[in-house]
Amino acid sequence: MADGFVEGFDNTVDDALFWLSDNADFLFDGARVVLDGFYRLVLDGVGWPPAWTIALIGGALGWWLVGRGFGALAALGLGLCWATGLWPETMDTLALVISAMLITLALALPLGVLVGYTTGLDRLIEPVLDLVQTLPPYIYLLPAIALLGYGTATALVATVIVAMPPVIRLTALGIRQTPEAFRELGEASGVNGWQMFTKIRLPFALPSIMAGINQGLMMAFGMVVIAGIVGSGGLGKTIYDAIRTLDIAKSIDAAIAIVILTMIIDRITQGLVPPKEKA
Amino acid sequence: MNESRAEVLVDCQSLWKIFGDKTEAAIRAVSERGATKADVLQQFNCVVGVSGASLQVRRGEIFCIMGLSGSGKSTLIRMLNRLIDPSLGKVLVKGEDLSRLDTARLREMRARHIGMVFQSVALLPNRTVLENAGFGLEVQGVPRAERNAAARASLAKVGLSEWLDRYPSELSGGMQQRVGLARALTSDPEIILMDEPFSALDPLIRRQLQDEFRQLTKELGKSAVFITHDLDEAIRIGDRIAIMKDGAIIQTGTAEEIILNPADQYVADFVAGISRVHLVKAHSVMIPVAEFRHQHPDIALDTLPAAAPDADVAALIGQITEAAQGAVAVVDQGQAVGVITMRNLLLSLREAPAAQGGDHG
Ligand SMILES: Nc1ncnc2c1ncn2[C@@H]1O[C@H](COP(=O)(O)OP(=O)(O)O)[C@@H](O)[C@H]1O
Ligand SMILES: [Mg+2]
Repeated sequence: MADGFVEGFDNTVDDALFWLSDNADFLFDGARVVLDGFYRLVLDGVGWPPAWTIALIGGALGWWLVGRGFGALAALGLGLCWATGLWPETMDTLALVISAMLITLALALPLGVLVGYTTGLDRLIEPVLDLVQTLPPYIYLLPAIALLGYGTATALVATVIVAMPPVIRLTALGIRQTPEAFRELGEASGVNGWQMFTKIRLPFALPSIMAGINQGLMMAFGMVVIAGIVGSGGLGKTIYDAIRTLDIAKSIDAAIAIVILTMIIDRITQGLVPPKEKA
Repeated sequence: MNESRAEVLVDCQSLWKIFGDKTEAAIRAVSERGATKADVLQQFNCVVGVSGASLQVRRGEIFCIMGLSGSGKSTLIRMLNRLIDPSLGKVLVKGEDLSRLDTARLREMRARHIGMVFQSVALLPNRTVLENAGFGLEVQGVPRAERNAAARASLAKVGLSEWLDRYPSELSGGMQQRVGLARALTSDPEIILMDEPFSALDPLIRRQLQDEFRQLTKELGKSAVFITHDLDEAIRIGDRIAIMKDGAIIQTGTAEEIILNPADQYVADFVAGISRVHLVKAHSVMIPVAEFRHQHPDIALDTLPAAAPDADVAALIGQITEAAQGAVAVVDQGQAVGVITMRNLLLSLREAPAAQGGDHG
């Protein structure tokens, strides 16, 4: 009986996916073209300059936003990525993370603001976010690959799915926790709704939003590596291939490159967080 | 009460604010059977914020609301610009019923006519002093150059011209509150609402700000509603004082009226420790000319030193101790309106028990 039910459920899901890919094919084809195109655009951006330019830019950002020591380390680290011969793969991965993050922000920031403003909506959306964050990330590859096929688009979609929850959550939190006294200041000064948002709520929410973006980025890095399985390219693919051929040295090189990239992006985005107000 | 003819800018008519669901029943319980704040909490699970408060603020007047913590002062002042909607009753500002204004008109009323200063100051931490002071005009869409000029001018009035480009965290508490006041002044409102603006400051700075605030308000011809839990502060700053207890205003009057004639034991206890020598004025102490003539037929009025009706007891003590006859004539516009003797002065300094309060007014 239970078996029958499970089988029925599985069949239904299968049918639904097939139905979708049969009947809404043009839609998913379109989506794939757009996503791939977007990724190529970003990749052209980061892949085009010579390696040393990127290393210098990374070093300069690190110096400016974190500190001199970190700036030097960042430049050195990127140099190391280049030295291992994995530079194109490193840039592929960077482009994947950046394009996934841009899509994530475009979706999650407005959604987070909406959740922050709407009482009750958070109770509706919290369980969904919890679920998304609890399931193992590679789960999201399955429906994506069924609909979008093997390749970058699938990797992007799965990455966006795992990167969105922290951004939504912390944006909503930031918007909600405007100090009472400042809300009153706004009201008493005669602000309209938009001014309340831009002049009062947003500045106070910024540290929280930036923390959300930072967390989202870390999730994205994790996913982008896993997405090597579905042909995302980049370091994920390098590691996946290296595992299959037991090329341990190469997989270690790729892992190091990922760690370096992740650490640089992590510290730099943390450096973007405005310091907590002292008053 | 002092019946000045100045236009009434803020008129509150039996305002109520009950926090909770059964507000109507709670209001009835209080107004019909005199239920206390505790009764209302117990019976209706509602908190009485303000109960049946009426007050009028006239143009040019500084009106203090004094009461202990939790007596409803913040709730009352927030109904004057409708940050809080009354449960019952009306607020008229410049003759306009606030509850009838639509959002746009209410915004305009707040932006142009009613300034507000908070105990927490609430300076935006990511903006400079100048940008904070210009916030009100920025919200109204005034171009940057114009609002900066106005903000500079009001910062100059509070003595902060040297600090324009600093951030709030670089300023002391007293200076921050000055910025708060400047911010309220920049939009040039007629009415300024102040919710315990100086309560968090240390006593010396506080005194200084009290005096500056009063002087500035009078100079600019502003009207203010000033909230405090400190009677000394209310007396120092206010033209008139309302005393609140458990949401209700139990007495309104000048410091002199309240001290000479406390409405009940609660007020009497409150004012018990206040020194009267600067508060009680000649017109409240003097006896009629006829009575003096009757008591002292031998003393000619024009041989007495003259004092103005609003000369305080301290000044009168100075004059009377110099006078040979031990009396001072109170003269208003060349006309003797009363006489003060040593005995009158001593009586004025004796604290009247509340029961006797009634014979003064
Ligand atoms: N939002 C609110 N919800 C419920 N009770 C409130 C609220 N705001 C104030 N009160 C209550 O109303 C009473 C008056 O508060 P308040 O006006 O802040 O007093 P004060 O400013 O004189 O200290 C207090 O008992 C307080 O607990
Ligand atoms: Mg208060």
